[in-house]
Amino acid sequence: VRPLQPARRVRLGRGAPVLALRYLLAAAFAFPFYWMLVLSLNRADAILQLPPHLWPQWQVQNYAEVWRFANWPGLFANTVATTAGRVGLALVTSTLAGYAFASMRFPGRAAAFGLVLAVSMVPTEVTLVPNYITLARLGWIDTYQAQFVPLAASVFGIFLMRQYFLTLPRDLWEAAQLDGCGHLRYLWSIAAPLARPALVTIALLQFIEGWNAFLWPLIVTETDRVRPLQVGLAAFSFTDSTRPELLAAGAFMTTLPILIVFLLAQRQLVGGIASTGIRG
Amino acid sequence: VYQIPEHLFARRRAARGALGAYAFLAPALAVLLLFLLVPAVWVFGLSLFRWDLIANSPTFVGLANFERLLLRDDLWWQSVRQTVYYAAVSVPAGMALGLLLAVLLSARMPGRGLLRGAVFAPYVTPFVATIVIWLWILNPDYGVLNAALRALHLPGPSWTRSQDWIMPALILYGVWQHTGLNLVVYLAGLANLPAHLHEAARVDGAGPWSVFWRVTWPLLSPTTYFLLFVNLIGSFKVVVPVYVFTNNTGGPDHAAETIGFYLYQQAFAFFHAGYAGAISVAFFVLILAGTGLQLRLSSRRVFYT
Repeated sequence: VRPLQPARRVRLGRGAPVLALRYLLAAAFAFPFYWMLVLSLNRADAILQLPPHLWPQWQVQNYAEVWRFANWPGLFANTVATTAGRVGLALVTSTLAGYAFASMRFPGRAAAFGLVLAVSMVPTEVTLVPNYITLARLGWIDTYQAQFVPLAASVFGIFLMRQYFLTLPRDLWEAAQLDGCGHLRYLWSIAAPLARPALVTIALLQFIEGWNAFLWPLIVTETDRVRPLQVGLAAFSFTDSTRPELLAAGAFMTTLPILIVFLLAQRQLVGGIASTGIRG
Repeated sequence: VYQIPEHLFARRRAARGALGAYAFLAPALAVLLLFLLVPAVWVFGLSLFRWDLIANSPTFVGLANFERLLLRDDLWWQSVRQTVYYAAVSVPAGMALGLLLAVLLSARMPGRGLLRGAVFAPYVTPFVATIVIWLWILNPDYGVLNAALRALHLPGPSWTRSQDWIMPALILYGVWQHTGLNLVVYLAGLANLPAHLHEAARVDGAGPWSVFWRVTWPLLSPTTYFLLFVNLIGSFKVVVPVYVFTNNTGGPDHAAETIGFYLYQQAFAFFHAGYAGAISVAFFVLILAGTGLQLRLSSRRVFYT
């Protein structure tokens, strides 16, 4: 039997119209980002003029002015803190659990793994009310930890680490064991470093989820002291709709870190998302 | 010398090993149990009470919440209809666009990565930041979309201000936002197709159009079913776009309310915890039924290579 070869390309037209269609469609998808930039650089009166100005007016001071309208350093710090907590905890919980499922023999392993599979079917929307009650009882409302501890374990992360650890040769563990290495030591100094691509994928996906987090922080925070960027931006948009150019500047500032990470790590990010169809 | 039988050692080693394994699992399992499994069971209990979250204690009301939800709550049924509308339009549109783009962008061409990136970027950028821009694009009076429609002598709808057009506005945003996912999954699907079938079809004289419909499309059916499932679930969960598009109002005459948004409002705007629990249960059952149906269908209909 001839081995299956991947299709190099699917040929569907090569003419100029098809080529133009590609660029046109991609441009349509990119347009809102372009428009974000254009609006953010508009003069204050330009937005209410018709027809709209299609090119930026380079009113760069909008970016200085928007800083007076919200506590952006605080919001940025809150987002960084909660995102870091989320990424860090997800990496730890995924690595430990993924390793146990891949490399350790213990009674109840199948049941525990089935449990992880089962909880992946629970839509997070269903958990909003009970989790809010739990956090209220813990006295965690309006704290950092409320925003990331409930999300500190990722089923996808556990699966991915497990898959990765399963590919490591058994000899590696046996050799390490002969040298007096325990599971934790082996995981820390040999297995986890070898699984770096999987760790990067998990970190990227958690970073995106953490940075973009909106609904859950909206529910469990009450003050700007702990609120993340997106919640602050929504509050700004609801209260100050008279200055859309400033709103656009704020939107662009909060999006920029994501766009930078996306440009730097597009390949890993797309690979991680394409294999699961989920972001977290 | 008395020797301890080997099997006792083995058992003890196994016991220590099990303890170690559960220590490794504990952090992940604790979070998953406490914040996913327990709540999933808890909402069923919650749905049997009347409880406003703020004032004191819950009152047991049996199935009264469900009786009200299913028989007397027009807003709930409106949100169900609107969610189905949202899913029925946005899912096929996003998938068709994703497939078209995947076919167009799978060929080698200059700037291919950039074009793919442009389509995928909306999927990873924050909802709020992009929606506030979309709200200006769709602004009935000053928006660039209606300006373009006017230039073409077409009437510009009043989008978010209109009962009939707010849902299309949400769908437009949703398709823009999630087509990138369909693109990358279809690209991965295309890359895994065996080339010799296409070649054989071409040798037999099939044109690109019939190669696509007779070979590529059937071979892609596992990808299509996977995406259909992911997209349907995702579209049934839409909450944040509704919240931001309508400034937490649900739109003119509730015209943009979805199941998820209705749940959010009952729980965190009106603090009807018990009633929100009943909505959660209904939503949960809906999602599980959809998952089950999807699994059955996909095992019967999907063409595996």
